[in-house]
Amino acid sequence: MNGLNPHPRLAHGLANTAPVSTLDAPPPDAAALAALVLRVSQTRDRTAYAALFKHFAPRVKAYLRRAGLEGAEAEEVTQDVMLSLWRKAGGFDPAIASAATWIFAIARNARIDAARKRRGLPAAPEPEEEDHTPSAETLTLTLEREALVRTALGALSAEQQQIMRLSFFSETPHAAIADTLNLPLGTVKSRIRLGLARLRAALEDKA
Amino acid sequence: MIRHHPAPETLLAHVAGTLAPGQALTAAVHVQGCAHCQAQTRRLEAAGGALLEDVVPEPLAADAFAAVMARLDEPAPPPPPKPRQADLRLPPGLVLPAALRGAAIGRWLWMGLGLRYSRVTLPWAPKENVMLLRVEGGRRVLRHSHGGAELTQVLWGGFHDITGAYGPGDLQEADETIEHQPLADPEGCLCLAALEGGLRLPWISRLMGK
Repeated sequence: MNGLNPHPRLAHGLANTAPVSTLDAPPPDAAALAALVLRVSQTRDRTAYAALFKHFAPRVKAYLRRAGLEGAEAEEVTQDVMLSLWRKAGGFDPAIASAATWIFAIARNARIDAARKRRGLPAAPEPEEEDHTPSAETLTLTLEREALVRTALGALSAEQQQIMRLSFFSETPHAAIADTLNLPLGTVKSRIRLGLARLRAALEDKA
Repeated sequence: MIRHHPAPETLLAHVAGTLAPGQALTAAVHVQGCAHCQAQTRRLEAAGGALLEDVVPEPLAADAFAAVMARLDEPAPPPPPKPRQADLRLPPGLVLPAALRGAAIGRWLWMGLGLRYSRVTLPWAPKENVMLLRVEGGRRVLRHSHGGAELTQVLWGGFHDITGAYGPGDLQEADETIEHQPLADPEGCLCLAALEGGLRLPWISRLMGK
């Protein structure tokens, strides 16, 4: 089953609740992670970058492995993603996304470009980035909005969660997911629709 | 007023990065012009972010951090060269969407009475079947079905067919189960279309197959 985690911790809130060892500082929460990206963007702060690396690089690598990249390639592309994080930090807009969401998009694009590179094709051009003037207020709104998405994801049925994870964490379009799960494509699509409709309903209730 | 959007699972595939490149381009053009789909895209990307946050981390090579730190001051690679884009003499006021900036665009070619197309080539996916379609007012596109999914984004003017009426900003999603013959509005229509598996016409098996 592609090494999927059978017990996703989706229902957890944004504050990280992992046990804190006496040796390590507690992992940064979403507000702290966004602040770190802003420090990288505004003052090229290498200490902040190191903290982001520690938190995100192993997650990006896990994502890439699940999306079908082999060991050495997953390692190489992870390092490229982390380098992109340094270079593209100026495009991070806390009014639009949390740090994890922003890095998810960078890692996803890197995965697609890695598949192209294997076939000798160039990367797709970057979308134009605008200058952002971040404010603390918009960051709070973003984190609230994303916390709702996270809670709504955790409230989906196990079946729908599995399809959502496969949709995000595999290299394959929905037809291949249907093959993997040995389900008709129509069933996969209707589960996706149902899951997305429930996500949306949950979000609109709270809005 | 945008009335037709990508199907929810199509937008999800777009955000997950599993849509075919031509369809991804067409979806990106739609999302750029559609506040509703922008909001939905942000929600789906937030779901991707939540899943990334919750994944079981995998350790990197011991020297990975040092290797990346050593590269921080390297200059970023230069942007890819600008592809050739023909002057299409677009209708006044129409600017090609930003998502098309990296694509090569050919000149108009005759396709039928009142019907022209311009080949859109993506350097990162050169085999994709993507085109701009220009239909004169009141003309019909040939009756056709598809080898797979067809995404059509209206850039200017409009058309209608058995599935409804489409105006600027609308996206039509058709698949192999739909045979249709779109009729352009009186002012004509200019669309971006991405085809999977080519067009299927009753009188030739493939017009633009791979």
